[in-house]
Amino acid sequence: MRWIRYFLLIISLVVLQTALFTSLRVFDTGPDLLLVATIAVAYERGAETGAVFGFVGGLAIDCFLSSPLGVSALTFALVGYGVGVFQSGLIRSSRWMAPVLGGIGGLVGGMIWVLIAALAGQEDLFVVGTLRTLVIAAVYDALVAFLIFPFARWASGDHDFAHR
Amino acid sequence: MAVYRRESRRRPIIALIVITSLALISLDRGGNGVIATVRHTARDAIAPVQGVVSDAFNPVSNVFDGVTKVHGLEDENAKLRSRVSTLEGKLSRERGVGEEYSQITRLLDIPDVEDVTGVVARVIGGPAGNFERTLTLNKGTSKGIVIGMPIVAGDGLVGKVTDASRTRATVTLIDSPGLGVGVRTEKSREQAVTQGRSGEKLLRLSFIGNPRAEIAEGELVFTAGVEGAAYPPDVPVARVVKIDRQRGVLDPDIFVEPLVDLDKLIFVKALRWPPRDTSPAGDSGTSGN
Repeated sequence: MRWIRYFLLIISLVVLQTALFTSLRVFDTGPDLLLVATIAVAYERGAETGAVFGFVGGLAIDCFLSSPLGVSALTFALVGYGVGVFQSGLIRSSRWMAPVLGGIGGLVGGMIWVLIAALAGQEDLFVVGTLRTLVIAAVYDALVAFLIFPFARWASGDHDFAHR
Repeated sequence: MAVYRRESRRRPIIALIVITSLALISLDRGGNGVIATVRHTARDAIAPVQGVVSDAFNPVSNVFDGVTKVHGLEDENAKLRSRVSTLEGKLSRERGVGEEYSQITRLLDIPDVEDVTGVVARVIGGPAGNFERTLTLNKGTSKGIVIGMPIVAGDGLVGKVTDASRTRATVTLIDSPGLGVGVRTEKSREQAVTQGRSGEKLLRLSFIGNPRAEIAEGELVFTAGVEGAAYPPDVPVARVVKIDRQRGVLDPDIFVEPLVDLDKLIFVKALRWPPRDTSPAGDSGTSGN
């Protein structure tokens, strides 16, 4: 049941990313909804679930990008795994956890994406403009994290979360 | 004990994900047809939902657009008014020359952009990612849009179709780092290639035929249209806005600005290039499928 909710979450975010947030861009930069959702799921459920969710979500959004299929999948899986590994040491009650994790995870995830995409042949990304885009995207990710974290918490299921 | 079991399970999963991802990247880079089919199927499957969501949130997008872009509109208006008056004068001066030119091309039977038919399509979205400059069109292969078609708008060249599913097409814009356009300059007639730069709006002119040629700011840049070119000849592409000649360096840095406002497109035309029939009996109108 939880994976059905995850599937619905991924499809919904893919639709929003490709139909809505292509218009809601600031300085020609948009948020990465699936990356933020991966961070949220990894925060709720740990490294293993975070990595698998990130891989599936990344593959879904890769279908709509021009970069090689698998770049976002690998990036999101690594971010999900990383957040999952470190989440046990975090203070879970803080209300600022969502934007902080969304922002930092978005920045690190963006850097990993650029690195993997460059290794896959997009060397032109190593320019100053890329850094500016990464920072703007990370701020945007931090803002949308307020909205995405509750949905990710719902999809992860409170009951399962309590027994983790 | 439980922690140990979880840790030992994690490693095979992350290893499997890494291997699968790398395999997919390699296959896609190699142009695997199965991956292209999967991509197209996903795009076609989600297209109706995208349409509904896009229409539903259209007012939100418009308000957002107004808030984020209102500051630049006054400046842009003033610049455009000045440009219109300049261009009106220029058009009058060149009208006579243009008539001679079209008579000669007709006599020599040289195909140009006027001979090219095309498919008019609506722009329904921008890029889903932050590191690509693309547009999504509301038509695909079922309406005759195929990979490789040049895309133009009223002011000039927009880009090229780089992916097309049955119902959608992806256009890579001319300011994308991955897309070079063979061009010639207006007055000096030097050939060069435009080069987009990640996160930058201005294109750089590379591989200039004669780097010492007198290229001036304000000069227009057109598609070169050499034999076998991907674009029809003489389509306006950009205007030279900045020339940086550093002492001791042979090649100047020449930057051009696309003539088309690539962020405000609503309708574009995909050109059937090279034209299948350039005879007078052939369809030379602006067909809109």
